[in-house]
Amino acid sequence: MMPEGLTFNINHGYLEGLLRGFKGGILKQADYLNLIQCETLDDLKLHLQSTDYGNFLANEPSPLTVSVIDDKLREKLVIEVEHMRNHALEPLSTFLDYIKYSYMIDNVILLITGTLHGRPIHELLPKCHPLGTFDQLAAINLANTSIMLYNAVLVDTPLAPYIKDCISAEDLDEMNVEIIRNTLYKSYLEDFYNFCKKQGGATADVMCEALAFDADRRAFIITINSFGTELSKEDRMKLYPRCGNLYPTGLNMLGECDDFEQVKVVADYYPQYKELFDNSGINPGDKTLEDKFFEHEVKLMKKSFMQQFQFGVFYAYIRLKEQENRNILWIGECVAQRHRAKIDSYIPIF
Amino acid sequence: MSMDALLRSEEMTLCQMFLQSEAAYACVSELGEIGLVQFRDLNPDVNAFQRKFVNEIRRCEEMERKLRFLEKEINKDGIPMLNTGDNPEAPAPREMIDLEATFEKLENEMKEVNSNSEALKRNFLELTELKHILRKTQTFFEEAHQHQQALHDPSIAEERVGLLGEDPVTRSGQQNKLGFVAGVILRERIPSFEVMLWRVCRGNVFLRQAEIEAPLEDPITGDSVYKSVFIIFFQGEQLKSRIKKICEGYRATLYPCPETQAERREMAIGVMTRIEDLNTVLGQTQDHRHRVLVAAAKNIKVWSIKVRKIKAIYHTLNMFNLDVTQKCLIAECWCPVADLDRIQQALRSGTERSGSSVPSIINRMQTRMVPPTYNRCNKFTQGFQNIVDAYGVSCYREVNPAPFTCITFPFLFAVMFGDMGHGLIMFLFALFLVLKEKQLEAKKIQNEIFNTFFGGRYIILLMGAFSVYAGLMYNDIFSKSLNLFGCQWVLSPLSPEYNVITSKPEERIFVDPNGTFTGTSYPIGVDPIWSLAKNKIAFNNSLKMKMSIILGVSQMFFGIALSFLNHRHFQRPLNIIFDFIPMVVFLFCMFGYLVIMIFVKWLKYSSTSKPQPPSLLIGLINMFLFNYKDGEDNMIYSGQQGFQSFLVIVAVLCVPWMMLGKTIYQRYLKRYGQ
Repeated sequence: MMPEGLTFNINHGYLEGLLRGFKGGILKQADYLNLIQCETLDDLKLHLQSTDYGNFLANEPSPLTVSVIDDKLREKLVIEVEHMRNHALEPLSTFLDYIKYSYMIDNVILLITGTLHGRPIHELLPKCHPLGTFDQLAAINLANTSIMLYNAVLVDTPLAPYIKDCISAEDLDEMNVEIIRNTLYKSYLEDFYNFCKKQGGATADVMCEALAFDADRRAFIITINSFGTELSKEDRMKLYPRCGNLYPTGLNMLGECDDFEQVKVVADYYPQYKELFDNSGINPGDKTLEDKFFEHEVKLMKKSFMQQFQFGVFYAYIRLKEQENRNILWIGECVAQRHRAKIDSYIPIF
Repeated sequence: MSMDALLRSEEMTLCQMFLQSEAAYACVSELGEIGLVQFRDLNPDVNAFQRKFVNEIRRCEEMERKLRFLEKEINKDGIPMLNTGDNPEAPAPREMIDLEATFEKLENEMKEVNSNSEALKRNFLELTELKHILRKTQTFFEEAHQHQQALHDPSIAEERVGLLGEDPVTRSGQQNKLGFVAGVILRERIPSFEVMLWRVCRGNVFLRQAEIEAPLEDPITGDSVYKSVFIIFFQGEQLKSRIKKICEGYRATLYPCPETQAERREMAIGVMTRIEDLNTVLGQTQDHRHRVLVAAAKNIKVWSIKVRKIKAIYHTLNMFNLDVTQKCLIAECWCPVADLDRIQQALRSGTERSGSSVPSIINRMQTRMVPPTYNRCNKFTQGFQNIVDAYGVSCYREVNPAPFTCITFPFLFAVMFGDMGHGLIMFLFALFLVLKEKQLEAKKIQNEIFNTFFGGRYIILLMGAFSVYAGLMYNDIFSKSLNLFGCQWVLSPLSPEYNVITSKPEERIFVDPNGTFTGTSYPIGVDPIWSLAKNKIAFNNSLKMKMSIILGVSQMFFGIALSFLNHRHFQRPLNIIFDFIPMVVFLFCMFGYLVIMIFVKWLKYSSTSKPQPPSLLIGLINMFLFNYKDGEDNMIYSGQQGFQSFLVIVAVLCVPWMMLGKTIYQRYLKRYGQ
């Protein structure tokens, strides 16, 4: 739509330009080929020096560990995202905030689970993702029921509207925590989807496709993970986000599934998911379903860069960077443990 | 040095070096100091971390990391680092171990001192916070007392009741004991903290807070932060645990605060003494840290240079090939033929230094590879060479335009700039940079724009000097003219215009050169009368344009002549016939002819020429359009029409000569053999 092309750059041109520069620094296949030849983590560090990462590990004392690399990778991404968020104007600033909410949900669940296992709060706080911190986060350990969680902690945060669907007076326990996580995420995803749809234009095109895939992926994963647990089918239906391609018929069918084969039958109705299920398996040498989902996500994210003057590129960059971090950590783990059998099951991006 | 030395790039040769493994390090160090060889990478397919000396390079990077850490600490304390401008040589490999040990010791000491002072500062912070709490809570408890008294005295207003319980009946017996916690929290967190307290405890707690005016020092980061004292009153154990959890979450530190005033006063005195003790200990720790850092600061620059040199040597050694017998390293390098002696000398001294018995061998190799272009420069020609290289580095042994540009570039700049005053300012600025060269270089300024000017200081110097000369020629100083030698246009008192000047000075008059010009021209430069003329710009434009054409065309001819030198050197007769000659002819026919016409027009016509002299520009255009309709009046010399037509035809013929000649000839050669 023409007006976007004329006016987008006024407010968001700098950040999009910066972002495309960052995107150019994402590791290529050649870099991964070099990385899998490393013998030690120091070699990994040497290789990363010649990429956009530069000397980010230069001030870490040797010997390196994978957790140090993890922290530094995350720190780099956080710096980039925070810089962009600080320079963003509406509506990009709200868009970036939406992306941050998913990290907030993860942090909240992490802290609740940690508290349930009896860990002290100051041990858990450093493990939280820096993109998802907010003031009231540290007080999570007070909440032992979800009503308390809402009333005390989350009511002033942006996550407040998302928890409305799952407030109950029961005590928090393992099961509930997962339900809370999924309910929060479902509301958040639907809210995000509606926000993007309202933006219209290329943003809506790109983001709605991406979020629809995310919703469908969650629906499949929830279904598959719920086999053999006490989660009833009605409860399970309540956890499916409704903004995906599976809504409404696919979700209904998924709600009736009892085992993996039936899930596959449901997926067969949708050509893009049929392909993912067909080529995956649990035999050694096959890609797992999770990996196929990640691959599909990477494909969608790469496609989003083909369009200009839309916000989807920001979301895509963060997702691709996360995938890259997962790749580097996977390779790092294989190298550190000298277990090179599956070292090339990373997911190449460019 | 041969005649060719400045004209062309240096003659290079490929050399092979055989270095004994023990001597290799010292030899490379010596070669690095003289900076005359370029090594070729003999292991291009090998990954960076599979090379031979990768471990040493890792050790160097570790050392660099420790040095960076020390520099950061030194900068934090504001200690100046001594920079004597020394250039120490790279230390031998065994000294590297000593350096590593020194750095390790320093780093450990610094880390220990830092952690000690961190612990002390944390202690200090706690005591300070406690001190503030004891002071501030004084007021809170006094208020509490007032409330208490108010309850016993019913005459005081009812609404002041609240803190110590609402029910006056229970007042009679014992006091309803309210628990409290006191602590300190960052100021920014207080609003959120209050809200959280209110929500979680359902409004059943009472928070009072007071700001601490002086900022406190955070023990880890060293930043000054502002904090506030707070005290929370509550009833019941359950609330207490909740409050404690919230405080933990907001990183508020809680302190035990005694209830009675007497106890508080005692505690305050104790705290003060402990604070003083801590201060002394902190002072001593800081002194010790300062001493360590000052000792390190003396050497740190030298150490940095040494470590960088070691790393560079190992990077170079990685490019060498290990011989089959593992005894010696083979290296290939490009070096100028003229410097082979110096390189031999360096190798010899390197071998001696390492104490090896086997001498290092260097021998020249024949090769078909094109050698790299090396132009030897000094600090003056380096700037010009950089400008020329920016357009493209010349091929091996081609004529190097840089020595010529030393003069032509500033000169052409001056022709365009042409102002004595501004030129003088430029010259003085550049002179300052040149005279203060050494000091400015030692400062190692990082500002990119300054470095651009500083790097080009000689260029700017010449540009300024030549601009002064050009300004003298144009008679232009700060856009005004000088009358140094007396104006040569004299208005005689008998002419009618004279009265106009004296009676009506603002009115414009027409000054005819025939009567006014004295006949002798102003010796140097443009006559100052032109600064008063309304048609000064028209006159100057014509003058400057013609001069520019003359200078430009001469420079083009000069460039083509240089290309002839190249053709002759590389023995390419084809190029001479099919490139050089048509280029010269083409240039002459079009622009060389124009230059000649400019001179003819200058010499032939004067102010006494009756008809308007024909315009050269129109003449040139008409020449190409074969348009001679305007007739004989516009001809400058007889036979002009025929001669010009001939020139244009020749010029047009040059184009296919240049474009197709060489191609057709070479194709012919290929088809029909030699």
